Amino acid sequence: MAPRVGIVGIGHIKFGNLSEYDLVDIMAYTATDALRDAGILADRRMVDQLFVANMGGGVINHQTGIASALVSRLGLEPTPAELVENGPASGGSAIKLGYMAVASGMADVVMVVGGETMRKVTGWKATDFVATLGHPEAEYGMGLTLPAFGAMFARLYMERYGVTERDLALVAVKDHANAARNKYAHVQEPCTIEAIHESPDAHVVNNYVAEPLRLYSVCPVSDGAATVILVNMDSPKAAAFRHPPIRIAGLGSATDTHCVHNRKDPLHLDAVRLSAEKALAMAKLTPQDISFAELHDAFVVLELAIAEEVGFYPRGKAVEAVRRNENAIDGKLPLNTSGGLKAKGHPVGATGVSQVVELVRQLRGKAEPGRQVKNPRYGMAVNFGGFGNNVVAIICAKE
Amino acid sequence: MIDFSVYETKQLEIYAYRCPECRAEYYPAPMLCAKCHCRRDPSGIVHKDWDPFPLEGACTLLTWTRVWALPEGYDRPCEMFGIVEFPNGLRAAGRLEAASPVMGMALVARVEESTERPGPPAKVFVFSEA
Ligand SMILES: [Zn+2]
Repeated sequence: MAPRVGIVGIGHIKFGNLSEYDLVDIMAYTATDALRDAGILADRRMVDQLFVANMGGGVINHQTGIASALVSRLGLEPTPAELVENGPASGGSAIKLGYMAVASGMADVVMVVGGETMRKVTGWKATDFVATLGHPEAEYGMGLTLPAFGAMFARLYMERYGVTERDLALVAVKDHANAARNKYAHVQEPCTIEAIHESPDAHVVNNYVAEPLRLYSVCPVSDGAATVILVNMDSPKAAAFRHPPIRIAGLGSATDTHCVHNRKDPLHLDAVRLSAEKALAMAKLTPQDISFAELHDAFVVLELAIAEEVGFYPRGKAVEAVRRNENAIDGKLPLNTSGGLKAKGHPVGATGVSQVVELVRQLRGKAEPGRQVKNPRYGMAVNFGGFGNNVVAIICAKE
Repeated sequence: MIDFSVYETKQLEIYAYRCPECRAEYYPAPMLCAKCHCRRDPSGIVHKDWDPFPLEGACTLLTWTRVWALPEGYDRPCEMFGIVEFPNGLRAAGRLEAASPVMGMALVARVEESTERPGPPAKVFVFSEA
């Protein structure tokens, strides 16, 4: 039987504009925090495998071989290390490979570091860089970007399910309230429905980015890094760590068509549904067992659509929970307790790892006051790459 | 003497591909036919390449957006984009030119050359009102 895999160390830098810092330095900073959190800073050579999640090192930082550079920055030689690039789902994919390394018996202690510095370049260049994950001729070459895909999806979703701009603004208000209490969030400013939707100036504060999506419907461009340390819970080495492990109970991933236009129903996110189904089956859980979730809301409409694909709500019904405020910290099903990509920020390669750091903080009961979910048992993260092209779902459990 | 004027009048086209075995149509071209598993050979050396045919003409608007945060290369404040469906069932994404776009409206697809994005000029779809 494959060993149980748990998380025993976490590290996270405050997301934001870190453009004056070196990419490998900020990754190493969170790796150091995770090693200290795990209680193995001095014994860090216990780490017998490193996976690094990053999407834009070669393009934005003009740097390759980042995984081995990080090993050296940490004085961790001769630990083997590999880079994982899977678009904005790189972080989730790197954790999946970390899990596989432990489950296969090839490693007992694996460190997974995700990081990105997108603000080294202008917003136009950052948007262009992320757009390169589209089909080169049929999407990227046409001028399409991720905000364009998010907006075209939102227009269809809003039309089919009667979702309004006010509904999307309510999701943003909830996300910002959570991020305001999260010491790692990029945007720690709460916002009100009056300011971003109801006041006569709301359209100025909350202008269109890609219609029908407004500034408060899309994530900021962020820099950041996050780290988790995985351990074989059935190995004697597991006793060396300071914290009881948070177990990875389920993990699933899937791929959808490269071209968004080739999906039979453009509102069906098959890779989300399949990855969540796999993760739930592996954990022997149903969606109703999940206490809280981090869902990849690069565009707030995705919080609703992903919540439905995962099975938290029937199609088109997530908006009713939004209107009843059921996804707030003290609601029936808290979503994006960290502030989500919307307000915590979205340094693409770091995001999937950051989501799992939030699961661990909540499951340890160590989130900031006012942001701690009450007695959570199972947390789920959905990391969404491309426009749903590749997705990783991870379920963590408090033992 | 070579008549260079033909190069100027040559119409820009974007191609969809038809499987030579089962006639299934694709845009853009995959390497294998999803229906009969016939393979494509872009070099045309080992196997015959598939039959390209221009994707153009009448189509219907499925969804659209007006983007105000354009990527590197654009020198205007906003640009509209849409996804359309052609009568043969193929879909494509491209630029949209319509005074007041409505989902389901009839459009006509043509191809233009775009120099906005980094790299060599790209062929883009422009969907305009029928
Ligand atoms: Zn065929």
